[in-house]
Amino acid sequence: MAELVGVFAASHGPLLIREWDAIPTDQKGRVAAAFGEIGRKITLAKPDVIVEIAPDHWSNFFLDNIPTVCIGVGETNDGPPEPWMKDFPHRELAGDAGFAMHIARTALQNGFEPSLSHRLKLDHGFCIPLWRMGLETLPRIVPMVVNSIEPPLPLVRRCLQWGELLKKAIESYAAPLRVAVLGTGGLSHSIGEPTMGAIDEPFDQECIRLLELGNETSLIKFLDAGLPKAGNGTAEIRNWLVAHGAAGGRGFELIDYLPVPKVLVGCGFAAWRI
Amino acid sequence: MVYDRPVMRDYWASRLFFDLQAPAAAAEFRADRDAVMKRYPLAENVRKAILDDNVPFLAQRTNAYLLRYYFFAAGMKDEEFIRRLRGG
Repeated sequence: MAELVGVFAASHGPLLIREWDAIPTDQKGRVAAAFGEIGRKITLAKPDVIVEIAPDHWSNFFLDNIPTVCIGVGETNDGPPEPWMKDFPHRELAGDAGFAMHIARTALQNGFEPSLSHRLKLDHGFCIPLWRMGLETLPRIVPMVVNSIEPPLPLVRRCLQWGELLKKAIESYAAPLRVAVLGTGGLSHSIGEPTMGAIDEPFDQECIRLLELGNETSLIKFLDAGLPKAGNGTAEIRNWLVAHGAAGGRGFELIDYLPVPKVLVGCGFAAWRI
Repeated sequence: MVYDRPVMRDYWASRLFFDLQAPAAAAEFRADRDAVMKRYPLAENVRKAILDDNVPFLAQRTNAYLLRYYFFAAGMKDEEFIRRLRGG
């Protein structure tokens, strides 16, 4: 049977590439170390597959068709289309069609209706964490797009349930597969709106405290009240909630958190003890 | 609670911004905005807002991320984009 071998979360942001050299040295060191620590933990966990949860930043979907959740079920997905990601070392990333389709089927059997794609472009939201983690060998990536870009967005509670569903899918897959889960994005940030650049450190710290506490009711209540007032990019915390749900909602371990104004993001990095 | 901020979308301005993520299209646009815009049935006030770099006007009609990508592709620095977003 397949096995869940690790659950992680990390921020992403275009300026972690475009403005990397301009980040103050101490902050850059901490961000690099945090990405590296997740990379080290993933390497130790030896996953065959990473189920990676990120938004689609207008790379695959447009106003014509915006899935709330889309699972990449293809054998292969494309690397990042953004020109400033051209040095990312993978133009194609292997998927795991069999396992991804098992997740889709498990979802449908349990009352979840994801969209499916047989070939996605994995934009910076997927690829910056993989790049900065410095993984020597890239496991197969099963992408899961959760819409946190174009409202209306999925319920916070539903994202936790998606995580629980992922766990169920992993545990019911017959092949001896080692699976890690990686949520990317957040924490607080604001993009393309008048508050652009604002980082809400107290909001982020409270979110982290509630993740550590593991009380889902408190977490949902806090985010339901706070997310509509937070910067739009903060919505990506949904991907952390999928990870939290997959880990069983317990054992959150903060690797680091620091606001990095130069990249406009409250940068968070975490692992769950599973 | 459904996270559901009020959304008004100008489809064709959004389509233009989406398409300009391709570097070749962005280069063509920077060289001749009018020629590229003629391919999209933009409302006159939207066309004028694009020509005028009217960020607040366009912000009311397009997704915030897409808006940022557009002005990045059009060559505007983030600092200037933020200043204009705030009505400066």
